[in-house]
Amino acid sequence: MLYQVSHTTSYKYQYGVTFCHNIATIKPKNMLGQTVVDYKLEISPTPTEFSEKLDFFGNTVTRFSIQEHHKTLKVTALSKILRDSSLAPNIYESEMGQQINLIDALAVLKTEKLHIIDVRQFMLESILIANISSEIRAYAEESFKPNRSIFEATYELMERIFNDFEFNPNVTNVATPIHEVITNKKGVCQDFAQIAIACIRSVGLPARYVSGYIETLPPPGKEKLVGTDASHAWFSIYIPTFGWVDFDPTNNQIPKDQHIIVAYGRDYYDVPPLKGVIYSSGENKMKVAVDIRPAV
Amino acid sequence: MPNKEDTLFQNYFSSYKAYDEFLKTDMSINTNWKKLLNKFSEIGYSNLQAKQNEVNWLMEENGVTYNVYNDPNGMHRSWNLNVVPFLIHENEWESTIEKGLIQRAELLNLVLKDIYGKRELIKNGILPQEVVFAHRGFLRQCDQIQYKATKTLQIYSADLARGPDGRMWVVSDRTQAPSGMGYALENRYALNNVVPDIFENINVKQPLGFFNDLKQMLIDSAPQNKDNPNIVVLTPGPHNETYFEHTYLASFLGYPLVMGSDLVVRNGKLWLKTLKKLKQVDVILRRVDDAFMDPLELREDSYLGVAGLLEVVREQQVAIVNPIGSGILENSGLVPFMNAICKYYFKEDLILPQIASWWCGQKKECDYVLSHLKDLVVKRIDRSNREKIFFCEFLDEAALKKLKHEILLAPYQFVAQEKISFSTAPNFVDESLEPRKVSCRTFAIAKKDSYSIMSGGLVRVAADREKLFVSNQRGGISKDFWVVSEQTQDPLQNYAWDASTNNGVADINDLSSNTAENLYWSGRYLGRSLVTARYLRVVLNRMNQEQFNSNKTNKESLHILYQSITNITSTFPGFIGKGSEELFKNPLQEIISLILDTDRVGSLAQTMNSFNNSYYSLRSLWSKDMWRVFDGIKKQWKTFKKAEDFSIAKLTKFLDRIITRLIAFMALIEESILVNQGLLLYFIGLQTEQATMQVEKCRALLVVNYEKQVQYEILEAFLNSSESLNIYRYSYRSYLSVENVIKLVLLDKEYAKSLTYQIKRIEKDVNRLPYSVGEDTVATCKEKIHKAYEMINSLHVEALSGLNENETLRQNLDDALAEISDLLHQTAMEVSNTYFNHSYTQKQLTNQNFPTL
Repeated sequence: MLYQVSHTTSYKYQYGVTFCHNIATIKPKNMLGQTVVDYKLEISPTPTEFSEKLDFFGNTVTRFSIQEHHKTLKVTALSKILRDSSLAPNIYESEMGQQINLIDALAVLKTEKLHIIDVRQFMLESILIANISSEIRAYAEESFKPNRSIFEATYELMERIFNDFEFNPNVTNVATPIHEVITNKKGVCQDFAQIAIACIRSVGLPARYVSGYIETLPPPGKEKLVGTDASHAWFSIYIPTFGWVDFDPTNNQIPKDQHIIVAYGRDYYDVPPLKGVIYSSGENKMKVAVDIRPAV
Repeated sequence: MPNKEDTLFQNYFSSYKAYDEFLKTDMSINTNWKKLLNKFSEIGYSNLQAKQNEVNWLMEENGVTYNVYNDPNGMHRSWNLNVVPFLIHENEWESTIEKGLIQRAELLNLVLKDIYGKRELIKNGILPQEVVFAHRGFLRQCDQIQYKATKTLQIYSADLARGPDGRMWVVSDRTQAPSGMGYALENRYALNNVVPDIFENINVKQPLGFFNDLKQMLIDSAPQNKDNPNIVVLTPGPHNETYFEHTYLASFLGYPLVMGSDLVVRNGKLWLKTLKKLKQVDVILRRVDDAFMDPLELREDSYLGVAGLLEVVREQQVAIVNPIGSGILENSGLVPFMNAICKYYFKEDLILPQIASWWCGQKKECDYVLSHLKDLVVKRIDRSNREKIFFCEFLDEAALKKLKHEILLAPYQFVAQEKISFSTAPNFVDESLEPRKVSCRTFAIAKKDSYSIMSGGLVRVAADREKLFVSNQRGGISKDFWVVSEQTQDPLQNYAWDASTNNGVADINDLSSNTAENLYWSGRYLGRSLVTARYLRVVLNRMNQEQFNSNKTNKESLHILYQSITNITSTFPGFIGKGSEELFKNPLQEIISLILDTDRVGSLAQTMNSFNNSYYSLRSLWSKDMWRVFDGIKKQWKTFKKAEDFSIAKLTKFLDRIITRLIAFMALIEESILVNQGLLLYFIGLQTEQATMQVEKCRALLVVNYEKQVQYEILEAFLNSSESLNIYRYSYRSYLSVENVIKLVLLDKEYAKSLTYQIKRIEKDVNRLPYSVGEDTVATCKEKIHKAYEMINSLHVEALSGLNENETLRQNLDDALAEISDLLHQTAMEVSNTYFNHSYTQKQLTNQNFPTL
């Protein structure tokens, strides 16, 4: 499947900004099952400085600064992505991966193999997923049992989050603590992903945050409107003997071709699409528009 | 032993409990201390007390302070130096301590490179990954950064204490921005100054070579191999606990002391904002912690660092000493693995012993810790401050249970250590010597392919006899640290901390805009304080007279004066607005509030407090005389606030004292600071404030047309408030008239207190400010003040003193003054916008309010 993705973030500043430094984690990944055919980042006003580097987690990070006075900032990432998830390993083809239970998984994670050492960092607390409460742990343990397959448990966890939590963009923001989300059971994709990660880490397994996009389909017979899509987030669990498996608790599915991956991190904090420091005295307004459609 | 000694030591023997530096276990005296002991005996204990007092006095005089966070009385606490030094013989120092410190510095340097590089220690199973990855100080943003300098860890500091086996042990490692070297140096100078006799015939190694190595290291770290790199000292600001030391070191080393807001990243480089232009910075010696250094990539809420700095570091356009990220080594989780790491790299054991430690991330160790909790000291691997350490022997069952639970939730975050009783050393307290626990902070600087170690360091003493712990955060006592040698040593080269040696800024163009702003505000606050104090004093005098001679005009003019106070100090409603009837019943109460109420905007106390803040930010510029005078003001204030009755006479006397000292202080500023160091900005601030208040005074007292006797009394008070009555009499030799007063205080071109003169002076100074081509705002501030000057020059006394139709007001005068007031205000705004950097504030693009790292 060949997609055309456009992701625009724009800011309007009340009194203008004298200059700014920004970081964008916005370029889709090149990986098995996902190829970036074309990529272009348009920034207005034109930045004085611009660099692209890989970060600690292997994501592409773009740094730029604008040194002239400006009243609006517009950052548009345009890409063409060839997505074929069938090229990546499939958990349904791995008997071992589907069957390994919690006890065995934890035992494998104690071994000192290099790739295991590397994966273990995703078992630890992170900035937005810290001091995991007993409430979260109890929620996790309803699905995770010592002798049960962890794949099955994760699948069930995803289903439970999908059913128990209400999707509501008006109750949380990027800084809402997971403990509030587990109590209120309301939020957006990013909250659901982080709750799932917290649950998985609470039973001692590695989980990471995935930021990206999802193609949404219009109701049958209607044409898709531009800008109805949004940045998306889900989670990934490391299943010993198999590898990383993605789950999308917002849509209750294992991501395939409709999910486009931009970055991996421990939580949202590691991979915000755009952040920055500005020098200004007024308020600012932000608007985000994402559009994904089959490329022609 | 002679008798004197016995008295000096009378409690020492009975207090003696554990291992002591001075007394051997058989109660004989350690030979290394013998010479020193003999000196004390010669001096005698009462003389020693006098010497101690002199040390205390010197520390206060020199403004050596230490701030204690979260303590309302903790700011600018005087630094305590005990007259009795701590000493170690060079045999022990050279054979083990120095070698051990070099070994540990080399080792930590390799660990630091590895953690942010290949991570072989983790891959090869020498170090568990959680010790690094679960530590808050592991900054993933710093991964794989390359540095030009051979050593990544450029400054290393270790706290040492003598263990029960008689060896010096490493208690903790300091690697981000270690404090203490400045205090150590000042301690040496102070002791050398007050008790030079105790150094006689004892060969004490001097630390100056070490400071040369520090300077050389900073020069060598510059990324572009410049001969004369620009080096700055970065401080979090005057509220930081060791701010004194930041100013001291900056002054001693000769580098500008800057704050994050003085710096900016542009075009891939780091710049210092100066009055004239941006000046590239090559090296930062920092006293700001890792996480605060860059609000773009690290802590979003930090205002102490510079946005975009990390990328400049990555591109090797600036060097930071120590590099951002080195806080990962302040990690008690490393301790249990240090010997294995030492064997891995050097195939040898650690020279300096460490405290036995167990990392709870390992099953066996964790079980041991949980079953022996009561005998252990527990900490998180990344929290080294005392508040976060659990001394389990003092915990009750509930607290122990809670701790156990916390450990089990994330065992890899905890380390337990054996509790150790460290040695004591003699401390002079209340005319005798007492054994106290001591801890020695030592310092290493990267030098070529090794490290240079400071001979001695900073010794800190437990706050009281029973205390086990030693910390400056609590405001403890310190000692000079002597390494004594058999060979004769070079004497201490003469250097005393003094503004005269400050060569950081040579040119007004290089003055950091932050310093410039503080000087400007110093001028404004001092000007306001002086005018306010004098005005209140005049009103108090009039109140005093009224007590004895109360007639109608007297009452009326006093009423007008009360109202003018509110206008001049802008402390509405006061005597003018709602509720003024109540105030007139007891006007003294309002005046007391205007003098002493620190929470009231416009009061003398509040203005002086504002000045206080600018004053501490500028401390490296002030001379010792200024310290003394300023200290005098503070003391006056403190004593006066405690008084119970505030009579008119007492208040007047108090204001007299404050005014005299303010004037002395202002005279000292003019003789102690060069125009190029920023005195120009001070003058602009001072004159602007005085001119503005002069305008307010004229509007409050000269505009309304009063009946003759009332007018006279008001004019007299007006002239008195600016100490101008004598000049008036000399110039006019006549009865006080509004016309002549206007001529003198507004229009006189020669009289320094006239508005015309003041505005001319501001214009002259504003014109001397650096001018960058292409900045039209510079032209604007010059234009505004020029307009004010032209305006006042065009005024004539006849027009100004003319009355309106119903003969109640001098409308022309009020209109002219209103316009001048506006122009002065606009000039001040333009100066601020052009030269100071707060017109735009740093903000996050999206306000994220993340929990802290």
